[in-house]
Amino acid sequence: MNDFLSLLPLLVTCCGAIVLMLLAALEKYRPESGALLSLGFLAAAFFLQLSTLGEPARPLFRELFNGMASTSGFSAAAGAIVLACAFFTVMITHTYFKENSFATLEFYAVLLFAVCGMLLLTLASELICAFIALEIMSLAVYVLVGFNRNSLRATEALFKYLLLGAFAGAFFTMGTALVYGAAGSTRFYDIAVFTQSGGASAPLMIGGVFFLLVALLFKAAAFPFHAWVVDVYDGASVPVTGFMATALKTALFALFANFLAQSAGLHDKWITFLFVISVMTMFGGNLIAIGQDNLKRMLAASGIVHSGYLLIALVAISADQFSGSVIAYYLAAYGAGTLGMFAALSYLGGKDERRVSFEDFKGLAKVRPFSAAAITVFLLSMAGIPPTAGFMGKFYVITAAINADHIALAVLGIVSSILSMWYYLRLIVLMYFHEAEEGFDTGRCGWAGTGTAILVASVFVIGIYPIII
Amino acid sequence: MFEYALSFMIFLPILAGLILFVLPVGDRAARGIGFAVSLVVLLLGIELFLGFSGVGGMQYAENRPWIESLGIRYSLGVDGISLLVLMAGAILYPMVFTVFATRRKGFYANLLLTQGAMLGAVCAVDMVLFYIFWEIMLLPVFFMIGLYGGEKRLAATLKITLYTISGSLLMLAALVYVAVSYHQQFGKWTFDIVELSNLQLGGGFAILAFLMFMVAFAIKIPLFPFHTWLPDAYCEAPSSTTFVLSAIMAKIGVYGVIRFVVPIFEPELARFAVLLSLAGVAGMIYCGLAAIAQKDMKRMLAFSSASHMGIIALGVFCQNVQALIGTLFQIAAHATSTGVLFLFIGLMEERRQSREIADFGGIAYRAPVFATFFAIAMLASVGLPGTSGFIGEFLIILGAIEFSGFIGFLAGTSLVVGVCYMLWMFQRVFFEKPREDCQPFTDLTLTEALTFLPVMALILGMGIFPNAFIAKIEPTAQTYTPVQQAVVAEMTATSPRPMVVLSEHKN
Repeated sequence: MNDFLSLLPLLVTCCGAIVLMLLAALEKYRPESGALLSLGFLAAAFFLQLSTLGEPARPLFRELFNGMASTSGFSAAAGAIVLACAFFTVMITHTYFKENSFATLEFYAVLLFAVCGMLLLTLASELICAFIALEIMSLAVYVLVGFNRNSLRATEALFKYLLLGAFAGAFFTMGTALVYGAAGSTRFYDIAVFTQSGGASAPLMIGGVFFLLVALLFKAAAFPFHAWVVDVYDGASVPVTGFMATALKTALFALFANFLAQSAGLHDKWITFLFVISVMTMFGGNLIAIGQDNLKRMLAASGIVHSGYLLIALVAISADQFSGSVIAYYLAAYGAGTLGMFAALSYLGGKDERRVSFEDFKGLAKVRPFSAAAITVFLLSMAGIPPTAGFMGKFYVITAAINADHIALAVLGIVSSILSMWYYLRLIVLMYFHEAEEGFDTGRCGWAGTGTAILVASVFVIGIYPIII
Repeated sequence: MFEYALSFMIFLPILAGLILFVLPVGDRAARGIGFAVSLVVLLLGIELFLGFSGVGGMQYAENRPWIESLGIRYSLGVDGISLLVLMAGAILYPMVFTVFATRRKGFYANLLLTQGAMLGAVCAVDMVLFYIFWEIMLLPVFFMIGLYGGEKRLAATLKITLYTISGSLLMLAALVYVAVSYHQQFGKWTFDIVELSNLQLGGGFAILAFLMFMVAFAIKIPLFPFHTWLPDAYCEAPSSTTFVLSAIMAKIGVYGVIRFVVPIFEPELARFAVLLSLAGVAGMIYCGLAAIAQKDMKRMLAFSSASHMGIIALGVFCQNVQALIGTLFQIAAHATSTGVLFLFIGLMEERRQSREIADFGGIAYRAPVFATFFAIAMLASVGLPGTSGFIGEFLIILGAIEFSGFIGFLAGTSLVVGVCYMLWMFQRVFFEKPREDCQPFTDLTLTEALTFLPVMALILGMGIFPNAFIAKIEPTAQTYTPVQQAVVAEMTATSPRPMVVLSEHKN
């Protein structure tokens, strides 16, 4: 029964996706009702997920699934974050489609299918299951990226993402095959047992894990597989970008952490590799972000930097509870800040996203003080200034790193966050210290406005009451 | 009754500031609210000061669990180290609301936020709590300079923000390192500074962490050579903000060194003490000489303030009781003298739209009350006996001579530089013949006079009855230093150079 409860959020979301898909066949339902329905399903799934938070770690339906899926406090938390991100994405979408009219019911159906894939990804404890979940998620997200068929940039973004994503998928299967060849199983647990007894250095294992890491690092937008991020985030519509930057990253890091944390042998073997990758990701991301004039591109690049911080936590991860919850907390904090930015952009961006560059937001504080204040809070959270959630996230990551004796990594992380101050402060400076050149006459804030307000509150609440599961 | 006094003092201004941001209040009403709030904090501060006994560790302590998994607690308290810094933040604040009527609602809200955060940083016993308030207090300053500052405010605000945040983030890594080391040695998590002082650190990482702490505090103080942000920020900031920066915020940098660096990094501090005190003296001399050359009064005062911060910091690095008491005393004294001078310059700028020394002259004949007040604050700033500035500087020099005759000599003689630029400026601005095209210069209004009168009384009071203050801080200072001196002796026993100093002292 408990196993069923843990699966229930996934099932509810799946039902929601199917219902929406069926409704889309009927002409009389408007996209707004789709938003409402998906909000309902996501909220239900979210609260079901919350109720499973205290459950002990165990495989789900062992006889039925043969250890393909398992749950833990970390998986449940990641699932809740994914659902919350999707919930706010729908709120953002609702407002966004008032100005940008390419909404159909299918959009929400596809979105929910993507959430299904993500939830399955957080539960996956076996490589084939992970691959299936990864592909469910990716296919749905490809469709979302290219949903605005009239936009050339969206099409270009879709094409880039699809092509490169297909490569990543191929790498993942290749890696799975090699790992199976070495360990004789695709279950994380069996792989862990195999690597524990010295199997981590088997040539097949090294090759297999390398391919798996390539695929995962590609999806996580880590160096050197980050080149696609900026273009794809820029081309996709604002809500989809927000969704990709938060929910997708959460699901992916859940899988990453589940895979690495279980097998200490594997972790030890690859730690130097991950160390280098995380440092390069942070600094490469900063280098890209500093040069951007477009806000979405800056956020994309800052997402790369945050992947770098998450990789720090992955390097520091160990079997103890703390480092796993650090990742979950960081993802929640980062998700709240980033989604909040996209929520504000969705109603400030105007028709066809004409306000996207830094310069377009000059003097926003004079005209729309509350929106500017909200954006400031989100930026400060992303920059890691107390008392926001982002600060606590950074604090936990640094503590985890130093606790695992990676002092150099912690210091490099600090240096990187000093660099990132530049582009976060730049927007604040433009909003507050320059005169407004236009009236920012946009439609009403609508649900995205409500979402922004809730996210501002949650940035402070999770910052001041940092829940560590 | 005083159970929640500190929390109240911290969060009343913060809440008031936030409410001012959200509610559509007029500028005048905002000023009134700000004044009322700061008055409440002032009265509470005086009450705390009078009730402070000085012995027995933290008083008015509050201690509640916050983040249990890492042993982070919401822990506040006041002891002799923090008392006078707290008083500087609590008592001088109403002034910024009574002078300069032309400010906007957002400005007053930011001032209140700054006060709450500064008081929080001073009262925090838990390092994470301290860090949070420490970072928060920068944000309102960022907005105050950027929104209400002078012409080159953008560059100034970015400079101070990036500079300070870089330092703070380095400190974050260092403080986590300290807590993790404690966890490894004692098997439990804590960020409580009293418990952390039991820690025995050693090795290269300890030195690295020490340097990271020192960089953060040196930037805030600012200690030579990290002072380059200061002239721009002080000049471009509105005068009330400059007052807050120089009178209180800079002091929290020194306070941070005493509170967090001294107990944890005793051996490291002893090792670097000579270098650091030389940096203090170099800052004194360099900034003093730079002040002589300035044509802009505010810029001159900015350098003068940096120069004084050099001697205050020197007092910490000498590591003996006299110097420590002198530093703590001078923290309050400097806030009353140089801080107030910034407000005076602001008043002059408001009346004349200029800060150039050359644009003034003969003010003393037109505005005798103003000139008297200015003279008192200025003489306190140069350390005239009978004013508050004398006691602190005297004790610090005394301590410095005990620490090292050479450094004490340098510090003592460089005080003369301060007298040079101050008196020269005073002569040119207040005495020389008024220029013919000069507009009239009105004397202090009644509000202004009433605002500054208590501060003048405080300057003289601190100079004539220093014991009332020193008695409060001495017990803590006494318990703070014996350990250090033992360490110094131990360190000097192995290195030949300071040995000479020590034996000289014995003779």
